[in-house]
Amino acid sequence: MKMKHLKVSLIFLIFLASQTVHSWKKDEFRNCNQTPFCKRARSRKPGACTLIAHDVSISDGDLTAKLIPRAPHDQDQIKPLTLSLSAYQDGIMRLKIDEDPSLDPSKKRFQVPDVVIPEFETKKLWLQSASTEKINGDDGSLSSVVYLSDGYEAVLRHDPFEVYVRDKAGKRRVISLNSHGLFDFEQLRVKKGDEDWEERFRGHTDTRPYGPQSISFDVSFYGSDFVYGIPEHATSFALKPTRGPGVEESEPYRLFNLDVFEYVHDSPFGIYGSIPFMVSHGKSGKSSGFFWLNAAEMQIDVLANGWDAEDGILMPTKQGRIDTFWMSEAGIVDTFFFVGLGPKDVVKQYMSVTGLPAMPQLFATAYHQCRWNYRDEEDVENVDSKFDEHDIPYDVLWLDIDHTDGRRYFTWDKLLFPHPDEMQRKLAAKGRHMVTIVDPHIKRDNSFHLHKDATRRGYYVKDATGKDYDGWCWPGSSSYPDMLNPEIRSWWGEKFSYENYIGSTPSLYIWNDMNEPSVFNGPEVTMPRDALHLGGVEHRELHNAYGYYFHMATADGLVKRGDGEDRPFVLSRAFFAGSQRHGAVWTGDNSADWDHLRVSVPMILTLGLTGMSFSGADVGGYFGNPEPELLVRWYQLGAYYPFFRGHAHQDTRRREPWLFGERNRELMRDAIRVRYTLLPYFYTLFREANVSGVPVLRPLWMEFPFDEAAFSNDEAFMLGNSLLVQGVYSERAKHAFVYLPAKESWYDLRTGTAYTGGEIHKLEVSEESIPAFQRAGTIVPRKDRFRRSSTQMVLDPYTLVIALNNSQAAEGELYIDDGKSFDFMHGAYIHRRFVFSNGQLTSLNMASSSLGRSRFSSDCIVERIILLGYTPGPKSALVEPGNRKAEIELGPLRLGGRGGAAVTIRKPGVRVAEDWTIKIL
Amino acid sequence: MKLTLSFTFLSLAIFSFIIPSHVSSSSLPSVSFVGIPPQDEDYFKDEVIKCKNGSKKFTKTQLNDDFCDCPDGTDEPGTSACPQGKFYCRNAGHSSSLLFSSRVNDGICDCCDGSDEYDGKVKCPNTCWEAGKAAREKLKKKIEMYHEGVALRKQEIEQAKQAIARDKAELLGLKNEKEVLEKVVKQLEEQIQKLKQRELLEKEDKIKEASNEKIENEKSGPEENVDGQIEPLKISDVEKMGLSGESPSDQSEKDENESTEGLSREELGRLIASRWTGKKTGDQVEEIDPAKSDHMGNRDKEESAYESSYDEHIDNNALQFNEKTQKHQEKGRKDARDAEDEESVAEDREKSSDIATLSHQSWLVKIQETAQNFLQSVNLFSAPVANLDANQVRKEYDNYTAKLSDIELRISSLTEKFKYDFGREKEFYLFYDRCFESKQDKYVYKVCPFKDAIQEEGSSETRLGNWEKFGNSYRMMMFSNGDGCWNGPDRSLKVTFICG
Repeated sequence: MKMKHLKVSLIFLIFLASQTVHSWKKDEFRNCNQTPFCKRARSRKPGACTLIAHDVSISDGDLTAKLIPRAPHDQDQIKPLTLSLSAYQDGIMRLKIDEDPSLDPSKKRFQVPDVVIPEFETKKLWLQSASTEKINGDDGSLSSVVYLSDGYEAVLRHDPFEVYVRDKAGKRRVISLNSHGLFDFEQLRVKKGDEDWEERFRGHTDTRPYGPQSISFDVSFYGSDFVYGIPEHATSFALKPTRGPGVEESEPYRLFNLDVFEYVHDSPFGIYGSIPFMVSHGKSGKSSGFFWLNAAEMQIDVLANGWDAEDGILMPTKQGRIDTFWMSEAGIVDTFFFVGLGPKDVVKQYMSVTGLPAMPQLFATAYHQCRWNYRDEEDVENVDSKFDEHDIPYDVLWLDIDHTDGRRYFTWDKLLFPHPDEMQRKLAAKGRHMVTIVDPHIKRDNSFHLHKDATRRGYYVKDATGKDYDGWCWPGSSSYPDMLNPEIRSWWGEKFSYENYIGSTPSLYIWNDMNEPSVFNGPEVTMPRDALHLGGVEHRELHNAYGYYFHMATADGLVKRGDGEDRPFVLSRAFFAGSQRHGAVWTGDNSADWDHLRVSVPMILTLGLTGMSFSGADVGGYFGNPEPELLVRWYQLGAYYPFFRGHAHQDTRRREPWLFGERNRELMRDAIRVRYTLLPYFYTLFREANVSGVPVLRPLWMEFPFDEAAFSNDEAFMLGNSLLVQGVYSERAKHAFVYLPAKESWYDLRTGTAYTGGEIHKLEVSEESIPAFQRAGTIVPRKDRFRRSSTQMVLDPYTLVIALNNSQAAEGELYIDDGKSFDFMHGAYIHRRFVFSNGQLTSLNMASSSLGRSRFSSDCIVERIILLGYTPGPKSALVEPGNRKAEIELGPLRLGGRGGAAVTIRKPGVRVAEDWTIKIL
Repeated sequence: MKLTLSFTFLSLAIFSFIIPSHVSSSSLPSVSFVGIPPQDEDYFKDEVIKCKNGSKKFTKTQLNDDFCDCPDGTDEPGTSACPQGKFYCRNAGHSSSLLFSSRVNDGICDCCDGSDEYDGKVKCPNTCWEAGKAAREKLKKKIEMYHEGVALRKQEIEQAKQAIARDKAELLGLKNEKEVLEKVVKQLEEQIQKLKQRELLEKEDKIKEASNEKIENEKSGPEENVDGQIEPLKISDVEKMGLSGESPSDQSEKDENESTEGLSREELGRLIASRWTGKKTGDQVEEIDPAKSDHMGNRDKEESAYESSYDEHIDNNALQFNEKTQKHQEKGRKDARDAEDEESVAEDREKSSDIATLSHQSWLVKIQETAQNFLQSVNLFSAPVANLDANQVRKEYDNYTAKLSDIELRISSLTEKFKYDFGREKEFYLFYDRCFESKQDKYVYKVCPFKDAIQEEGSSETRLGNWEKFGNSYRMMMFSNGDGCWNGPDRSLKVTFICG
């Protein structure tokens, strides 16, 4: 007994040691060289593609062609591919290349269903005709040109085959494909003799019954200085080149959804989610975008300038550009070219394909408290009451895997959680919500009804031999429902009904974790690629979208549970293009160190740019114990994440905000309160994302597209168009260097001090806050009252903070709805525009009156108007209608005694729902 | 023996108990006086009022006008307008209370008299009388319990005094014994030396008579015997080394962790899972309880909320530590005996100690006498020592050294014991050699004051720490340097005493 005991402690020691040195098990994941399709593709030389476009014509409103080898003798080996090029409204070109179905290929290649929204098809432009041109520099080769939008044309060059978008007026290229002749399409074929198609990795064998079927091609972005996007990687926002001059040996950016234990903070390796969407931006202030709808493993190289110097391929233009190289293991070419012009346009265009972000409930935009694990009902009650005891607001308490009966989701541990509904009702009585975890792995336990049901119905993903795939995850031996199948998704959704999910109440929402899917004993900790889904689709073909379908099924289930009247909240770890429609994501299992705090910003920026506007990182860092200073800094930054949740691994010390002394508690409470005061602004931004796709948290260059100094800045970010925030990323920092863009003033959120734009400021930083500024010319709505949760704030009055620009003017918006239902989709909302000019503030209605059958009203008033950049002097303001006077005085910028003072209109008392003016006398 | 842990006798908080029937004699406050404690009302009588922190002034019309003027919230005691504000609930029939301003008109009834929700959006029933009644009952019970606790504490102190006196007397006695025995042993030692010399001489004589080989054989016998007499010491040295030698790491464990190839599918699954759980294998994951990993160290009271939350947790669960009558083995000491023997020895000693204190004087005399007699009888032989006599001397020597080492052991254990801090009135003296157990779902926590604390789960146990000291004015026991947490620091444990 003694001996055994000693051994146990030794194992702990070893874990500690290995963790500090090399926690990330790099060897357990395939690199490009160990991935045959990637290795093959990367070794291809520019110009290797011999395909030419043949039979070019207009058919069914598309420009179509066949791709055949230039040399006739190759035509025996290579079957023609079909190409179709379509135009959609708002400057979107879609290019599809697939094997010719009429030639009866051995298998239909997989096209990712249910990602492109149905509305997109209604935006298709029926091409009537193509003009044929001989373009300068192309000796003898013809090009077919079709209309794309008023300013743009799509061009298909025939020989060598190349597709690009150009602007009509200047004939300048925007995006092109196969300009370097790297296009390659491995067609399905019959196995030759004793050919070995199997691939082995660390004891796992991939049978690859269909053999090689990869696709690769080059894409060039013109007039571009940087490219961004293609999450998820823990790396810089502007994507560093992975090949070419000046680049040391580097992996391509990998898109393969993986559960990576202790991922490192700067690496191109793939982690939990994949969105094959890239955005470029350059000095011209223009952006463009490229999206490849393909859910197989993808690898993407960003090529350093001059990578092709020795290839002898003359690019037809001297425009600055960035070349990229895209490789995928399977699927088809289904690509979308977005012409921009501005960064926000590109994002909108992408969203018109994959859908707009869901509008979250108000509570979901507030602070979430999570930990693996709040162990029982008493623990929950205790944590909940501590928040009240310390007057710290929070909205959601989360339960991780151990609340269940042996990791059987939809169940409760009867000893630890004997009264789940009562527990939720207690929270709900304080306006709070609960989230429980539901993962895709189902415990293979014959007494578990879910497993029985799924087995009986044949709803599990099958292994290569056709049996239910049996993997290992939290509950031990587990199987995974085939979420590709809409019928199974609908079955899954039913499990969330109150009748089926015993112990759930209307205040309970869901967290989908491990949906990459994570399989502890699978190759690279995921499902084997030869596992089989609906219709014989191989897992390799849809891997990156598995989590997406799972997320979708869960969110749809919650909608169904609420009879279509309650907006779902589902947080997912895995994601794919389109996940924004289903809910929030977070950056997974990060670590409690300063580097991870730092990298959270580029990661969230990237997610926002690619549609996932509702995202965040675990505040405090999931693994390890943050020093109080790091934790405080994390709360200060996390308060501005679109998704704001504190979370921690089970082996870390408890770290709720009151556990680190009075001072640190105050600092964390302050940070959380900053979030709560800004909730009206956040909610307005979520609505903006919901309508336009423009993310809540955005890069500086999205607001200042011509400001070159902002292009690669990923330390700071914009929150909407009005606030700029920069984290403090190092210990005991005394100063921060903050770049404030453009030629505008910026007002420190805490002190009200004005700073000039267009330069880097060396600012003193205190422990009290991180640098945050309001841009001159904007109006930010706040609620300066603190409550237990956002629920009690609904009736509280507003504060408007007006930051005046040089011409003493400013504008801002406020969106309000019931915070919960879908009525806003039928017009039940308030949308105001506030305009300040000539010493007068006006509130204007922005809601379209024609839209809806529903109405939403609010009795909320404005209690305070703060003017930044206004010279004190006037003593009162005239409020119309009503012809009332409101006093003007010097008031605090923030309540509670700390911070600066500003000109304040005291108790104007106007209702937010109405039109009014306030004139300073 | 199942004892409810009655940590009752801890410094009792003196609590003043005011029956909250006090209702302000002044008439009901005007609307603008909402949320102001009666004793404060005078402060707000003037037309111009100062913010309490002196930062500003405000007029009477600004009092409770739902707009925050004072940074400290002075002007808005009755609304939610100031974040620093405090709302006073009168709660007639129960005790009055101060609320954060964030609770005012938030739709949730906080004051039992419902006065915090006056905007008409919710109706709060007045529950003060019932609540007050219940609270008074509870308080009464608490007082009773504390009384009981005080009595218990007195008892324990009394018993501790006796035990200390007993132990001191024993120690004194043992020291005398030791002196005497040392003398005896020394004499025996001399005797043995003499015997040895004599034997040597005899052998030399024999050498002359017999062949070389024979002598060699004969000689080796007695010498081995001589060696054998000092052997016990050596053995214990060796065993000590052996025990400490257990700690070097078992290399094979490490290798297992590094390689994932060649594992069965289940082994692989378990291994990968273990990265997150920190557990080697097994499908159930161990929840590391907060108490184990507390390292708040010497931070202020507020910070210790961390562990207190755990304590309350235990408390709420109505968990009680059951005392194990079994004597806790002293792992640190690593003496050669195995645990069971030690226990029985210790128990025997304790049982006999009463008698010993009374009679050991005579017992000592007896020893002295018998030893002397024996020695003298040996000395009488002038002729060559017969083998029988030599053996008898050695046996006696063994006997007395064993006794001596027993006594030394007991002395050192008592001396060790006296080094500990047993509290202001040595009220924890009887905790020495006692252990307490508490079961919390799958874990059994075993806490042995002045020794160590262990968490058991089935057959596996995790050390939560060694005894460190009392903390928080003897209201807490602290154990530190336990097994390392996966991905974290060493475990430690704080056990708070609560009267109950």
